[in-house]
Parts: sequence; C-alpha cells; structure tokens
Amino acid sequence: MISFYEQIQRNKIRSSLIVSIFIVFVISAAYLISYALNLSNGFLFFAFVFALISSFVSYYYGDQIVLTLNQAIPANRKKYFNFYTVTENLSLANQTPMPKIYVIESEAMNAFATGRDPEHAVVCATTGLLKKLNRTQLEGVIAHELSHVKNYDIRLMMIVSILIGTISILTNMATRSMFFGGNRRRNNDDNGELGVLLSILGIIMMIFAPLIAKLIQMAISRRREFLADASAVKLTRQPSGLIQALEIISKDPNILKSASPATASLYINNPSSLFSTHPPIIDRIKALKEMI
Amino acid sequence: MIIIYVVLAVLILYVIGFYNQLKTILVQIGASTQEIGNQLKRQADLIPNLVESAKGYLKHEKEIFTQLTDARKAISANKIEKSQELISKALGALQVIVESNPELKASGIVTDLMAELRDTADKLMYARRTMIDLSANFNAKIVTFPNSILASIFNFQPQKGLEITKEEATNPIVKL
Repeated sequence: MISFYEQIQRNKIRSSLIVSIFIVFVISAAYLISYALNLSNGFLFFAFVFALISSFVSYYYGDQIVLTLNQAIPANRKKYFNFYTVTENLSLANQTPMPKIYVIESEAMNAFATGRDPEHAVVCATTGLLKKLNRTQLEGVIAHELSHVKNYDIRLMMIVSILIGTISILTNMATRSMFFGGNRRRNNDDNGELGVLLSILGIIMMIFAPLIAKLIQMAISRRREFLADASAVKLTRQPSGLIQALEIISKDPNILKSASPATASLYINNPSSLFSTHPPIIDRIKALKEMI
Repeated sequence: MIIIYVVLAVLILYVIGFYNQLKTILVQIGASTQEIGNQLKRQADLIPNLVESAKGYLKHEKEIFTQLTDARKAISANKIEKSQELISKALGALQVIVESNPELKASGIVTDLMAELRDTADKLMYARRTMIDLSANFNAKIVTFPNSILASIFNFQPQKGLEITKEEATNPIVKL
C-alpha cells in the first residue's frame, strides 16, 4: 500500500527527471545535427522561434479551437446537474476557480481538460460519459481532469511540444540542405577522429531524433496521467470511483471520433494505441488499487 | 560589509514571506469555515422543502420524515456528523421508494430535491476537508525549524481544524 501523498511525490520526481533528460537530449541532438551538416546557428534559432510561435498560438487559442472542432456546448446546471455540481464541489476541494464546463454530444465516453492555467481552465465531457457513469464515478473522472489543471500539465506539454517542434523543424531543414544546399565547405576538417564521430552521430540523430523525441514525450505524458490519477484520489479520497469509471470506459465500444492528437494527452482515455499518450488502463487501475 | 546586507535582506524577505503565507492560510481557513456554515444553512432549508413536496406521496413512510426532521435539528445543534448520517440514511430509503414508484419518479420534484440534498452533503464534506487540509498545512508549517521560532514571535497558534465531539467519533458514517 502506497499513500497518494507518496505517489504524488514519486510522480513529480520522475516527471521532472524525464523532462530534464528530454531537454538535454534535444539540445545535444540539435547541436550534433547542426555540427554534422555544418549548419549555421541561424538555422537553430529559426527552428526554435518557429516552434515557439506555433506553440504559443495553440497555448492561447488551443482551448477555443478544440471546443469548436468538437462542437462542444456550455453545460448548464439544470440539465447537467451532476456534472455541474461535481465540478463545483471538486473545485472547492482543489482550491482552484470553477472551470468553464462543456459537453460534447457523443455516445463515446470521454472527457478532457484544457486551458493554459487554472483561471482559464475548461473541462469538457461527452454526453455518453455523463449518462453511463454514476455520481461517484463521475467525481473520479472530473477529479482527474481538475488535477491536470492544477498540476499545470497543459503548460508542461506545451514546453515539450516546443522542444519537439524545434527538433522536427531542424531535421526537416537539415535533410533539405543535405540534398539541395550542400555548398558550404566544412572548415573544421582537421578535428580528426572526434569530428568524424560527431558527424556520424549527427547523421544518426537526424534520422532517429524525431522518433526518440516522440517516445520521450509519451513517457512524460504517461507519467502525468499517473500523477493526475493520484491527485484525483487526493481530492475525492475514493479510489473506487475512478477505478470503476476506468473499467466502464475501457469496456465501452464507442470511440470518440474527433479526438484530435493535439489534445489527446488530456483525455481521460486515449483511443489510439501505437504511440499512446496514456498508460494502459490496467496499469492505472493497479496503481489506484494500491491506494485503497 | 555587502555580504552582511545581503544576508540581512534575505532574512527579512524570508520572515515577510513566512508571515504572509501563514496569514493567507488563516484567511482561507476562515473562508472555508464560512463555507461550511453556508452549506449547513442550505441543507437545513432544503429539508422542509423535501418533506413538504414528498408528503403526499409518502404517507406511510413516517420513519424517513422523522430522520429528516432529526437531521435538521442536529444541523441547528451543530452536530454535523450526526445530521449527515441521518440524511444519508433518509436518502438511501427515499431512493428505494422512488425507484419502485414510477409516479413519484416521473414527477421529478422529489428526485430533484434528493439530488440537491446529496449535493449539499458533498459540498459540506469537501468544505470540511478543505478546512482540515488547510489546518494541517498550517500546523506543519509552524512546527518545523526555524519557522517554529518565528511562529512563537508572531504568536501563531496551531489550528484545531474541526473539533469532533466524542459522540461523533464513536458513530462513524458507514458508506456503502
């Protein structure tokens, strides 16, 4: 038996470790690629700025974009009594302002949180979820989403995507300059073996960096899911609610079609499997059962 | 000389930070205490409504009404645990009746009131827990060194959280 306090602590340490590894990885990959192809610093700078701007747009307008794409409508207290009051109550316990709440008309069972900080948070649930879960189970799901809000996971994933963006833009440009540019002569040929080794590493990085970056992103995202589960238990003190909800959701045959990869990391459950942002539900339930 | 100034400045900033942090928690504790009061009042107001609207349908279910009335009395006597226990009992019994009575279920009045009642019970639970958490947080801050010295200078007393009477402690709520 591990208390949720320990789980939260452990998850925080692990995710900051993964994030630091990630930053080191991105910096060294970027360095090696520009070394191998003798790119100027301008390329690196351009890649970074481009990734920064695109991420900021999604940071400030992402919630609106997602809600519009999914045709989400605001939920009122009368029609969605349980959803509204559960969110209200958990926000009280979470000590964050009550988020805006929306529903998506869909038989699929899913929910997600978005918005850049607790003051601009949005929690959205499908009508299928609201219909098929009882109040205690719904509390578990909403507590999980509110934990994402309080843990600033949306902000964290933005930083990660800036880094990933930098890598993918850089490798793109590097590939292009290899085929078309290639006009600059290397002026540090006399570095000898070390130079050759770094160049080879750079080429390898160019091929594998985007993949590795993606894998690390998934690792971070999964870590945050476990953290959100543990924080959810801290809020409700009832692991059984979330466990039952996850069991019901995993058995549900309906899949939310419009689940966009951009926000997949914030869904309660991610339907796509290969590069999953979410840990398997079995593992999550196992971790939750340890907290009972 | 500069080093002394820097150390002094850091110390002063630390003391100010500590003081403000604890004052903030005290304000939050006050606010959550008030929230508990609000929810208790709302609950007490809801009960007569529920009784009134359900009376016609539930002539033979005297026990439920007794439980609800007792719960209301317990609320006014500030016996929170006792009142919540009675309310959850009554809600359970009401649920069974509503399920087996289509007419009552269709009317929606009783079910709506039941939902409101359950919601206030939840809000009350969360408000109380927030207050307990805040108090625990406050107490943990004033016992560790060097904060313990500062706490005695500013006369920060440990927060009691919620005082639970002996009777409440011996009658825990059984949640199924």
